[in-house]
Amino acid sequence: MGRSFNTIAFDPSKCDGCGDCMRACASVKYDSEDTSRSLIQILGRETDKGSAFELALCRQCGDPKCTTVCPAGALTKNGESGVIEWDGSKCVDCLLCTIGCSYAGIALDETTGRVSKCDTCAGNPACVPACPHGALRYVTTSNIYNEVGDWEDLFAPGLAGCQGCNTELLMRHTLRRVGPDTVLATPPGCVPGMGSVGFNGTTGTKVPVFHPLLTNTAAMLAGIKRQYKRVGREITALAIAGDGGASDVGFQSLSGAAERGEQMLFMVVDNEGYMNTGMQRSSCTPYGAWTSTTPVGKSSDGSHLSQGKTQDAKNLPLIMVNHRCAYVATASTAYMEDLYEKLDKAIQASKTGFAYLHVYSPCTTGWRFPTDQNMEVARKAVETNFVMLWEYTPDTGVHFTRPVDKPLPVTDYLKAMGRFRHLSPEQIEHIQKKVEENRRIVERLAENAHAA
Amino acid sequence: MTTATLETPREAAAKQKVILCEGNEAAALAVALARPDMVAVYPITPQSSLVEHVAKLIADGKMDADIVDAEGEHSVLSVLQGGALAGARTYTATCGPGLAFMFEPYFRTSGMRLPIVMTIVTRDGITPQSVWGGHQDAMTVREVGWVQMYCETVQEVLDTTIMAFKVAEHHDVMLPVNICLDGNYLSYGASRVELPDQAEVDAFLGDKFVNWHVALDPQRPMAVDPLTGGSGGKGPSTFVRYRKGQCKGMQNALRVIEEVHEEWAQRFGRSFAPLVEEYRLDDAEFAIMTLGSMTGAAKDAIDEAREAGKKVGLIKIKTFSPFPVEALVRSLAKVRALGVVDRSVGFRWNCGPMFQETLGALYRLGRHVPAMSFIGGLAGADLTIPHFHRVIDATEALLQGGPVPTEPVWLNERD
Repeated sequence: MGRSFNTIAFDPSKCDGCGDCMRACASVKYDSEDTSRSLIQILGRETDKGSAFELALCRQCGDPKCTTVCPAGALTKNGESGVIEWDGSKCVDCLLCTIGCSYAGIALDETTGRVSKCDTCAGNPACVPACPHGALRYVTTSNIYNEVGDWEDLFAPGLAGCQGCNTELLMRHTLRRVGPDTVLATPPGCVPGMGSVGFNGTTGTKVPVFHPLLTNTAAMLAGIKRQYKRVGREITALAIAGDGGASDVGFQSLSGAAERGEQMLFMVVDNEGYMNTGMQRSSCTPYGAWTSTTPVGKSSDGSHLSQGKTQDAKNLPLIMVNHRCAYVATASTAYMEDLYEKLDKAIQASKTGFAYLHVYSPCTTGWRFPTDQNMEVARKAVETNFVMLWEYTPDTGVHFTRPVDKPLPVTDYLKAMGRFRHLSPEQIEHIQKKVEENRRIVERLAENAHAA
Repeated sequence: MTTATLETPREAAAKQKVILCEGNEAAALAVALARPDMVAVYPITPQSSLVEHVAKLIADGKMDADIVDAEGEHSVLSVLQGGALAGARTYTATCGPGLAFMFEPYFRTSGMRLPIVMTIVTRDGITPQSVWGGHQDAMTVREVGWVQMYCETVQEVLDTTIMAFKVAEHHDVMLPVNICLDGNYLSYGASRVELPDQAEVDAFLGDKFVNWHVALDPQRPMAVDPLTGGSGGKGPSTFVRYRKGQCKGMQNALRVIEEVHEEWAQRFGRSFAPLVEEYRLDDAEFAIMTLGSMTGAAKDAIDEAREAGKKVGLIKIKTFSPFPVEALVRSLAKVRALGVVDRSVGFRWNCGPMFQETLGALYRLGRHVPAMSFIGGLAGADLTIPHFHRVIDATEALLQGGPVPTEPVWLNERD
């Protein structure tokens, strides 16, 4: 399997052409204020909808054309870092590479008369933190894929998730990481709906897997783990559960198992409702959201108006913190490195106590957004602080793992989905206030942890 | 499998300790002798002292089991399901509202064919609010595939509790088993009890046989309970195969319960009727039917009635689920009138549940036997010898061929 490499990603919708990235690059690389020397170039153009911006930057291509056209062997792709390296001692300044590149990623530096290109600042690109709008990201998940790709996928191919659902991604990554010495519980919901436990004698999973009841996942897993512990066998007891079963009808067994410190990893895939059953409200559904049991409607005379869910979501991960679990964390599939770090800690914690991992999982079908937008919706949730990524252990308390100190307005998140289409300005104001209030609650916990 | 013993029952009996204890303690001592791997508990009246005894036996090192103090009965049974799927011999006890709360996993236990053993310290149903004995709880769940055996005495509680593990784990059964122990009367009633020797019990029970058929084990991975059924493909036939298997297991249990009781009698010298007990029935013209601890008072009443010249006998059901139709029909064949005493209510037929079940057996008999339903002992009310004389007299009247009452007689209505 081919290797993948870290890369600088550009989101043109967030770029306003301010040029801060170019100034940072020119400064770091050449101690210069001349942005024409920057190795990253933002190019503006006018469109029907106003100004738009494009990126001229070396993509560190997997199949680079610049290296193949170079007659002197001055350009080579580093097999470890993935960076295409330029060797000035070999370069004959023919400029063929600048014609070979489709991205204007290598260009003539008129100051020196030689070509220049981005080297990602040895994995710490100066342009990325300089961007005030989050249009640039240094994507460093490649190591996960390089490592994980060689591990056995413990789910059957072709699980029947909705198009664009990232829960399948989450399931495959999680089980690869946890490994074959696992007993997996997938209570009723999307995860068995995809076929994890199979149908009429077939199975979707290569580890022992079962449907608990919606209500007793944690209790059944506790019994399994205890018996293996009694006979001296090491297994990981893993639940991949939905938010509805965990926060509503299954909460008692979840709370009881957490209080008793049962040794398991309980992962909640939070798509904020009973999505498998037809998109009904759960206690994790956010305020204002349309669901099939909190529909939007009004009476014919206009006297009655229904505008989605009228209560705020239950904050299940914070409730789990109050169980003093061995580990509690929130995660998002848009932040895979963060998720993997937490997964590793949670697996470790599950060997001695109750580990709880709450993963936000946007639902293309139930939240009503295009199937290619899942990661973007997940990312926007974090960038607006609608979802916060943090972790807790009894020793270290709560701390943010991906703090967003300059959040985007929550409307950037809300407008990405149909389920919030009907919101009134008052409802949006309520949600924005709640986002800020929730942030302050976690901040206070984090500050207290820091002070302690 | 069990190993042969060279001891005679008398020798085995001689090794037994004689103690005085209540039914709840007897159940706990029996559980300890059965050596379960896992016990899950949640307290509820009148079961509480039973699980307290179990907890103390474990705390004192007299019982080597993992005890899970679960947060409710629903989780109690769920923890044990997990334990059983991982190979544990498991036990718990509950009653009344606890059993009602447990119903969701309770229904599922028999479907997964998990040989979990659970005592029901029987309690009447709420509401009206009550914490006292009655069979309403166990009767309410009689239809969901658990084996249910009702005990008459504290000794029978102890012996049946051990036997229950052997029945549950029998290859031809593989079903969960309830020992029904009358709340108040047996739970708190102290009695002389012979306590079997541990080595003898070990030999009797043999190796545990828990999850050979369904397991959650990384060394033999399988999907447990995949979605089954629907109207297409293999769905209908697969679902039927499972359900039919449960029914077969229940029917097999009738034979296995008899075999296990027979072996128990041989090993320990104590004999209990496994399915249906007959008392002074062979020359009887009519009979009364009982269940559980009320039978003691009923037998005394029969003795007195016999002295008064009434040709009355008694039929006691021990194994209520599966319903021992054949054995019962054999007993019913001996009589011309029947009075059935229930300690619970069947709301749908306006009679006792055991009476209703017996009507089905009477149909199998193929001969009309007039029968009456009596309901008594609800919510801890006493069923005394005078109550049973009323039952005997009313049933005797049926021999005259008059009209058969269509409504039950409520024995404690004017107490």
